[in-house]
Amino acid sequence: MSPLDLLEKMQSGEFKSELAAHEGAERYEKLFEMLLEAIPSSLLLIDDETRIVAANKNFLSKNRKSRSDAIGKKLEELLSEPLIENMDITGKVRQTFKYNQAIRGGRMTYRAPGVPLRIYYYSILPFVWNNQVEHVMLLMDDVTEQIRLSDEVLRAQRRYAGVVESAADIVLSTDPSGVILTWNTAAEKITGFRSHEVHGTQFFDWVPKENRSELVQVFRKVRVGGNSETGEWDIRTKNNQRLPIGWIFSGMQDETGETMGIVAIGRDLRERRELEMQLLKSQKLAALGVMAGGIAHEIRNPLAVSYSAAQFLMEEDLSREFQTVCVQKILSGIEKASTIIQDLLRFARPSSTTDLTHLDLIPVIHDTIKLVINQAKIQKVSISLDFSIDKAWVLGHANLLQQALLNLFLNGINSMPEGGVLNVQVDKSDSEVIVRIVDSGLGIARENLEKIFDPFYTLPPVGKGTGLGLSICHTIVVKQHLGKIEVTSSEGQGSTFTVRLPVF
Amino acid sequence: MPIQPELIIIIDDEPDMLWALENVLLKHGHIVRKADSASEALSLMNREKFDVALLDAKLPDMEGLELAGMIKEKNPDISIIMISGYYYRDDDHMKKAVASGLISNFVAKPFDHIELLSLVESARSHPHPNSQISN
Repeated sequence: MSPLDLLEKMQSGEFKSELAAHEGAERYEKLFEMLLEAIPSSLLLIDDETRIVAANKNFLSKNRKSRSDAIGKKLEELLSEPLIENMDITGKVRQTFKYNQAIRGGRMTYRAPGVPLRIYYYSILPFVWNNQVEHVMLLMDDVTEQIRLSDEVLRAQRRYAGVVESAADIVLSTDPSGVILTWNTAAEKITGFRSHEVHGTQFFDWVPKENRSELVQVFRKVRVGGNSETGEWDIRTKNNQRLPIGWIFSGMQDETGETMGIVAIGRDLRERRELEMQLLKSQKLAALGVMAGGIAHEIRNPLAVSYSAAQFLMEEDLSREFQTVCVQKILSGIEKASTIIQDLLRFARPSSTTDLTHLDLIPVIHDTIKLVINQAKIQKVSISLDFSIDKAWVLGHANLLQQALLNLFLNGINSMPEGGVLNVQVDKSDSEVIVRIVDSGLGIARENLEKIFDPFYTLPPVGKGTGLGLSICHTIVVKQHLGKIEVTSSEGQGSTFTVRLPVF
Repeated sequence: MPIQPELIIIIDDEPDMLWALENVLLKHGHIVRKADSASEALSLMNREKFDVALLDAKLPDMEGLELAGMIKEKNPDISIIMISGYYYRDDDHMKKAVASGLISNFVAKPFDHIELLSLVESARSHPHPNSQISN
C-alpha cells in the first residue's frame, strides 16, 4: 500500500473508528505518528491559516530544519519564496480547504539556499473531520533521481538515434512478424524509399520475390533461436533495381526473453562485388601463369612438327607419299595448336556479368580438363573420369564454374609432386549435382583443413600457387551459385573436394 | 652426308615429334632408334652404345634432366641434346645443365633442321670437356 493510499484510508475514518473502538485515541495517535515517520515522502500537516501543524522526519531532514523550526510557521515562511509564489502552493492549499478537493500530480522544483536542487511530485489532500476540512496535508515525493534517470535515458536515446541516423549501413527494425518500425537515413539513401513510405509495411515486400520464403525462415530462426542470422539478399530500390546487401538480423528481447522486435543491419555490397570481380579476374590470370609451362610445351610440339614438315617439303626429290604425309602433319599440327589457344581464350575472356543461366555442367568439366591436361601431363598426373550421368543441369555461370573447377583440378595436380591420378566424378542426387575431385597426393593435415579456403593460405611448396585458388572456388561455388564445397583429406593419402550445386 | 654415320637415339612421347626427328636424321645418313618413354630408352641403351641422344625435357615417366643423368651414368661418352618446348633458350635450368656437362646442347621447339644437324655433328666431333675427363 502506497503512503498516499494509506493516508487516504486513514482519512476516510475507517481506521480511526476501528482503532478508537478497540484501543482508544492514544494508540491511534501513536500509529499515526509512526506512519508519518516511516513513509519515504515529505509530509506537512497544515491548518486553515496555512500554519504547519506537523512535519515528518523526511521533510525536516530533506530541508535541513528542526521540528521547532517548522511547527507553527506559515507555509510560505517554511518553503522558499520563489517556489511558493511560482507554484502558488499556498493558494492551492487554501483551495483545498475551500472546496474539499484533493490536488494531485503537481511537479515542483525546490531550490533553496544551502539545499541541493530537488524535484518533487506533490499532492495536497484535505483531512475532513465532522464534514469539515480541518487540516490539509501536503505530500511531496522526491523524484529527483527518477527524473535524472529518465533524462539519461532520453540522452542515450538521442545518442543512439544519432548513431543509427549517421550510419552508412542500413539500420532498420521490425516487429517480430517483420512489419517495419524504423528505417534510417542510409536505408532511405540506398533504396530511395523514404521512411514514411515503408513504415508499417512488411519487410519481406522490399526484397525480391524469390528470397521471401527464405527470409521468412531467417526471421523465424531469429525469433525462436535468439541468435543473429547473416546472409546476402538483394533489396529492391525505388528505380526498380536490385542491390546486393549483406544482412545481419538480430532479435531484440524484452526482460522475459521474449522477442519484441528484429533489428536488421545491411551493408551495400556493390563495391565489394566489384572488388570480387576484379579478384576473380586477376586470379584467373594467375592460374593462366601456373599453366603457362604446360601450354607452351603443348603448343610448341605441333608447331615443331609443322615446321619440320615444311622444311622437308623444301627439299628436292621427295616421294609423292612423303609429300602428302608432310602436308597432313602441317595441317594437323596447326589445328592442334589453335585448339589449345582457343580453349585458353575461352577461359581467359573476362566475364562481364555474373548472371546465372541454365547450363549443363558436363561440357564445362570437359573444357576445363582440356585446359589442365597439358599441365597434368608434364607433372606426370593422369586424369580419370567417372561420370554417372550424361547431363548435369544447374543454374550457373559457365565461365565462373570453369574457373572454380580449374582451380580445384590444378590444386589436385599440384598436390601430387610425384605424379598420380586425378579422379573426377560427377553424380546427382534429387536436389544436387555433385562433382568430386579426388587426388592421391600429399593430403592436408587436419589442423589446416579449416584454413584452406582462406585467401592467401597456401601449403608448401609455397610459390606453386597464389593462395587464392581455393578461396576463389569458395566464392564462386558458395556465394555465386548457392552451392556447397567440402573437403576430406588424410595426410599422405590424398584429398577429396566435393562441390554441390543445386539442380535446376 | 657425314663421313661416319652416327647411332642416335631419339626420346620423345609425341609420335609426330619422333617422325620429324627420325626423318631429319635418316636423310643425313644416321642410324636412328626411337623411344617414347624413359624406361624404353634405358632398355634400348642396354643393347646398343649410342653416340648421341636427342631428349625431350618432359617424359611421361621421368623428367628429361633426370633421364640425362642416368644415361650419362650408363654411357659417359654419349652426347645429349635436349629438345624441348618447355624451356626457352636462355632458361637457367638449361644453362646450368650445359655448364655442368650433363647435356651438350639445348634446342628449342620448333627447330631448324640444318641447325639441329650441325649440333648433332659438332656434339660428336667436339665432345664436352667433362665427357673427355670422364673417358
